[in-house]
Amino acid sequence: MDILTQLDILAGAAKYDVSCSSSGVTRKNQGGTGNTRSFGICHAWSADGRCISLLKILLSNDCVYDCRYCVNRRSSDIPRASFSPRELADLTMQFYRRNYIEGLFLSAAVEKSPDYTMEKILRVLTLLREEYEFQGYIHVKVIPGAEPSLINRAGLLCDRMSVNVEQPTENSLRLLAPQKSLPTMYASMQQLKDKIQEHKVDHRRFRHTPRFVPGGQSTQMIVGASQDSDLTILHTTQALYQNFGLKRVYFSAYVPVNQDSNLPALTTVPPLLREHRLYQSDWLLRHYHFKAEEILDADHANLETEIDPKTAWALRHPEFFPLEINRASYEELLRIPGIGPKSAWRITSQRRVAAISADHFKKLGVVFKRAQYFVTCKGIYPGNKPYDPAAIRRVMLPESPFKQMTLF
Amino acid sequence: MDYLYDGSFDGLLTCIYHHYYQEPASGIFQLEYYQPTLMVSSSVVLTDPDLANRVYQAIEQKISADALARIYHVYLSSSSDKENLVLNYLRLGFKMGSKADLCHSHPDVYPVHKLDRQVTLETHRLLGLLRFKDTGKFLYGVMSPDHHILTLIADHFADRLAGERWIIHDQKRRLAIIYDGQERNNDKLLIQHKWYMTDFSYSMDDYTTREEHHWQQLWQLYFQQISIESRYNPRLQSHFVPYRYRRHLLEFKGASWGHS
Repeated sequence: MDILTQLDILAGAAKYDVSCSSSGVTRKNQGGTGNTRSFGICHAWSADGRCISLLKILLSNDCVYDCRYCVNRRSSDIPRASFSPRELADLTMQFYRRNYIEGLFLSAAVEKSPDYTMEKILRVLTLLREEYEFQGYIHVKVIPGAEPSLINRAGLLCDRMSVNVEQPTENSLRLLAPQKSLPTMYASMQQLKDKIQEHKVDHRRFRHTPRFVPGGQSTQMIVGASQDSDLTILHTTQALYQNFGLKRVYFSAYVPVNQDSNLPALTTVPPLLREHRLYQSDWLLRHYHFKAEEILDADHANLETEIDPKTAWALRHPEFFPLEINRASYEELLRIPGIGPKSAWRITSQRRVAAISADHFKKLGVVFKRAQYFVTCKGIYPGNKPYDPAAIRRVMLPESPFKQMTLF
Repeated sequence: MDYLYDGSFDGLLTCIYHHYYQEPASGIFQLEYYQPTLMVSSSVVLTDPDLANRVYQAIEQKISADALARIYHVYLSSSSDKENLVLNYLRLGFKMGSKADLCHSHPDVYPVHKLDRQVTLETHRLLGLLRFKDTGKFLYGVMSPDHHILTLIADHFADRLAGERWIIHDQKRRLAIIYDGQERNNDKLLIQHKWYMTDFSYSMDDYTTREEHHWQQLWQLYFQQISIESRYNPRLQSHFVPYRYRRHLLEFKGASWGHS
């Protein structure tokens, strides 16, 4: 099989993985090829608008598992291929030196057994890091159920590792991926967390302690393949951040690839807007100091599609607003729709030298369209509608392109 | 008095010096593009590295190192009014010290911050959007950025591709950065060559070796394969890769536009 066909099959099989970030690690080149920058670098954007930072590829798509949502499931009738470690290492190096990519995101179908697959991944890592002296970014997928010592060895060679939980609850997982289980995956995540912590502590005492997964771990959940509500998903997300110190939880709108009684029909459109709203909520959790319980509760178990989660929260809590922009704390500013961490920081810093009025908003990076209803500036309410949640909600809704015509 | 300078950063700083120690400037302009008017007299400023250095030090000590980096970025931008923006910003800065940067919405500060952001963004973008091709002797990458960011991306590639020899060509400004690799002996680094910038108007666009063609083909295939058809979203894509950058991007050449 020639390399064009291999790449064709194995890149196509890897595309449903979401994570592609190359951030979190700064490493200078120490006499080989490559370096990493903590801000991460995207190199291209494909026709679906997703960034290409790492060479996202499977080592093999020959899987013994039969997860119902997956393209590579054992029972699916697709061409199979696999790379030899050297072929993949060469491909990575050649792409890297032409600045096509920032590094490698290596994943694999479970070929024969988890240990066999993890060992093969380890061979690619060793080849790249030791023989090719490659110092770019490497993200490795942990094969659930692989021997802990193999995972530890891989962790010393790569920058980020991820275990994909795929589903927010054990029940949905059992339905869709019968051979996987949350406890096994949580065990791997716990192991990574402990090891990362251990190396961090050692690193403080002994300068030459090797770094273990310096970019941290991440995970991914499929949205829309099971019946779980957004509330369940956000609760699981929050728990993952708290319990395992994850850097990111990715969401992936389910793209139907298999016909199955437990899955949505093949004609289902991927729930892209729902995925977008979940990402917005994820940002609220990570950068805006929100709690999952605040974004959604038992009465509102799913995110509204028309309005972003922060504005929705603001409209449900009229008692919190309007806030005086010249006096509100940083935490309070973050709660105002239309203000983000950067504009909140600019507001708090400018306040030290000059008071802020409504005509400064645009230059401070505040989205006036949204913020106007929730603030006062020097005591003046700048909104063009009275402060009434129902009226504000009406102007905030996107205009419907279709209007019902009356008959008479 | 309008001050006219030669287009160098030192020249700009010399003008700032004269603004304080000779006659206040009504404006600073590049000699080449200056349109004389009847109302204002003008004088050509000779670049003086010593005077420039004094201004340089003063900015760093009396305002901040950030402010210095900021005006350097503005100087590298393609704004036609950049000299006067720098002048106004520095006048405020020498009055207020480092606190000037806190006045984000001040009319003298905002445009400088904005241009600084634009230059920083483009620098960051091109760290990713530059493509090299292997000519057999060296790597060659070409770009036509909005701002003069060539020197800002050079250190990154000198570190990343330290063992290679490469040329980064700014086609718009007919300049290039040349990096000649390092010399090694028994795995010990002997000399780390620094990069240098030079005039360059030679085009290497059509020269592609057979091996190079092979890797380019693989990349184009990968680019197509990695996109999910049911998420097709060219608007989002053009938000991240504006059309003006695509001319030099391999993946947008020929038949590989969007989905096949």
